[in-house]
Amino acid sequence: MSLKSYSRARAVHVMLVYTGGCNGCDIEIVNCILSPKYDAEQYKVFLTWNPREADVLVVTGPVTKHVEEPLKAIYEAIPEPKAVVAAGACATMGGVYKNIHGDIPSEEIAGPVEEIIPVAAKIPGCAVRPEDVLSGVVAALPLLLNAK
Amino acid sequence: MDNNNKVTTQVIETEVPMGTIHSAALEPYRLRLFVEDEIVRDAELTIGVNHRGIERIMEGLPVEKANSLTEKICGICSNSHIWNSCLTAEKGLEIDIPPRAEYIRIIMGELERLHSHLLYLAHGSEVLGHETFSMRLFYIRETVMELLRMIGGNRVQYGASIIGGVRPRCELDEMRIQKLTEGMDYLEEKIGEFADRFVRDPMVISRISGIGAITKADARRLATTGPTLRATGIEVDLRRDMEQYEPFEFDVITQDTGDIKANLLMRVLEIPESIKIIRQAIKDLPEGKITNRSWEMQDTDIIRSYIEVPRGKLYHSYKIEDGRVRNSIVRTPSITNINTMEFACIGTHITDAQLAVVQCDPCFTCTDRAVQIVDHPLKKIKTV
Amino acid sequence: MDTSMIIISLIAVIGTLIVAFAVSVWLPGIERKFVQARIQQRVGPPISSPGFMAPIKFFFKQVMSPNSPMPKLYNALPLVTLIIVTLILLVTMPQMYFLGAFASIIAVVGLLKIEEIMYMFMGSLSKSVLSVNMPFPDRVKGAKHIDATRSFIEEVSTLRAFRLIAFGSFPLYIALFVPVAMAKSIYLADIVGYQQLNGPILFTVAGVIGAIVYFIGSMILLNEYPFAIMKTKADVIEGPYLEYMSKYRAYTYITRGLLIFVLASLFTTMFIGIPPNILSPGILITIAVAIIFSILMAVMSAFSPVFTFRQFYPVVAATSILGVLAIVASFL
Repeated sequence: MSLKSYSRARAVHVMLVYTGGCNGCDIEIVNCILSPKYDAEQYKVFLTWNPREADVLVVTGPVTKHVEEPLKAIYEAIPEPKAVVAAGACATMGGVYKNIHGDIPSEEIAGPVEEIIPVAAKIPGCAVRPEDVLSGVVAALPLLLNAK
Repeated sequence: MDNNNKVTTQVIETEVPMGTIHSAALEPYRLRLFVEDEIVRDAELTIGVNHRGIERIMEGLPVEKANSLTEKICGICSNSHIWNSCLTAEKGLEIDIPPRAEYIRIIMGELERLHSHLLYLAHGSEVLGHETFSMRLFYIRETVMELLRMIGGNRVQYGASIIGGVRPRCELDEMRIQKLTEGMDYLEEKIGEFADRFVRDPMVISRISGIGAITKADARRLATTGPTLRATGIEVDLRRDMEQYEPFEFDVITQDTGDIKANLLMRVLEIPESIKIIRQAIKDLPEGKITNRSWEMQDTDIIRSYIEVPRGKLYHSYKIEDGRVRNSIVRTPSITNINTMEFACIGTHITDAQLAVVQCDPCFTCTDRAVQIVDHPLKKIKTV
Repeated sequence: MDTSMIIISLIAVIGTLIVAFAVSVWLPGIERKFVQARIQQRVGPPISSPGFMAPIKFFFKQVMSPNSPMPKLYNALPLVTLIIVTLILLVTMPQMYFLGAFASIIAVVGLLKIEEIMYMFMGSLSKSVLSVNMPFPDRVKGAKHIDATRSFIEEVSTLRAFRLIAFGSFPLYIALFVPVAMAKSIYLADIVGYQQLNGPILFTVAGVIGAIVYFIGSMILLNEYPFAIMKTKADVIEGPYLEYMSKYRAYTYITRGLLIFVLASLFTTMFIGIPPNILSPGILITIAVAIIFSILMAVMSAFSPVFTFRQFYPVVAATSILGVLAIVASFL
């Protein structure tokens, strides 16, 4: 493994963007970083709130119209190489809000995430489990490691 | 306690916007702070990111499906939503709920209050800048999450209630009761230790006491609800009036000052009360079936139901036509608390402003469904 | 001075710098893994990750133009800061004492001041996407105070950096003058010489008080929690550093680690009388002090919330008074 890949694997900075989900995924992700039980830092995953520092962007929620532009802005602010992980049913396929098929469809939802920014890994679940979040971030890693 | 909470009439010069993605916020919201030398003179909270149009997509759904959709309004108080939505249907269709199911619902409701309050405290500590407290609280909270997972099958959206009772999955057998008892013992011990440590920390206390104070009169004027209202000294708890809670003994906790310290302590002190309710529910758990399936669908008028959830008063209403939901309205506690949040920011330092928002336990995913008509920022509020 | 002397001095200087860099990249990892993670009852990151691997990783990232009115100047600032911090280490080395006035406490204080001023430049040049630039419709009809001037969150931290210069760094500078008062000279050579004759200043009453004040002062200078008013997560997120990416961010990481080492080595020079020098066994004491410094800081920051001005001003005032007492005590 070259120094480049090795250093990328030893320090992964993760940024979270909430795009209007139900909070369940958001809290589970924060939980897997802040809770000593899961403690993402032991897997060299660090939480950051600054797009300039981030490598992996974890997106939750179905991307409502209001947050479409901010999400793009955040994505563009991250320097290459970067990977986007869509966490939760809403981020992967629009979730219950897009697919419930009532009389009136929701007009607020611009998502899912892959229609707005390219997605590298998808984490299923409603809400995602902390273990799955960690494995999802790890699944996106090869993309980072092998980028030039 | 005077905290300079007055909107000054002078021209406000500088605005510091924060969000929608911010390290202090667990949810996307935009906070515009109008500052004068780092002291907040006015604040505006802009929400709308979480607006998914839940009431609109609920229109025309079968009642069972609509109930499970209400759960997806919020990931923190998901059980409260599905519980109240089921209660609404049960009220309209006149369904009797087996007493055992009632008890299991209350156990779930109180477990949810525990996890919500612990999350509040952990988030509050994180915004305070105290990572260690935050992590310890998340560790304590893990017990509650495991119990919820054991009963409901999922850590967040457990969907315990269905029309006429609770899901068969949520039946409490002896092993589960044993685990619940152990969990409650552990939680009581740990939260006691934490509270001791918390109130003795001089640095934390100097950060939180007297900041973002809300007086009784202001709380009434701003239509504050839930623990935030109780922290100002007004003893209002809908659980006192709910018939489901009649068999249980618990105290309604109040604080006097309404500042961040009072709010944080409020949640710490409510945790033992919830533990007390769960213990009573486990002890007196009635025998019998947990679901009443002998009911028929019929058309109803608009049905309304209020319950007390971790953040305050929750209101659901809809009418049923051909087994489908019409004219649904959900009113969550955070929508009335938004004004309190903005008000609590005024007069604080910028660093405290986010804390003042957090002290009202915001849950904007709940909130973002209604159109808000505001005549004057602090006077009158009407939701449509 | 003959040629061999010059060569030995040169090797010593370069060797010391290499040792300083080599030690400083591990300090953030030690803080995070062995202290904070242990206090927080978790496993924590590998010791190499936060300070060593993260900067290397950033060197391999794409360089984009930062959101800044002067991108080139903004990107140059971390390198300037790194050079200034290295200069502080250089002037405290015994091989540099021939520089005269440059190898004095005045030069050290001046360089530290420049290091602080850099944050003001950084803050006012950074225009991050996270506040005003966020494309979110918040100034709509009916919103409050639409005509107000909008300020980036970095500008808030610029103001705080200014307060740190004007007020916050008092304790450190006062503490630095305790050895000066005792040795009755501003030259580092004299201060070191005084301590070699009379024993370390740390073991006198004035020295102990001075050391405590120095420690708190250096925490303020390093912006460690609880004094992290310039980069509070609750409002300004990362403050002046917000727009740094790739290698420029790597410089900020390295600078931070090196600054911890430099402050510890300055302490060893001023209070124990052992200047950083690879050719003497005293370098081990310098390294030990650096590790103890970062461990103590990590313990302090793990157990405290972030301060607002309400707590910050009294703490700084009290520490400054303590520092003045130390100076008075040094004359007794």
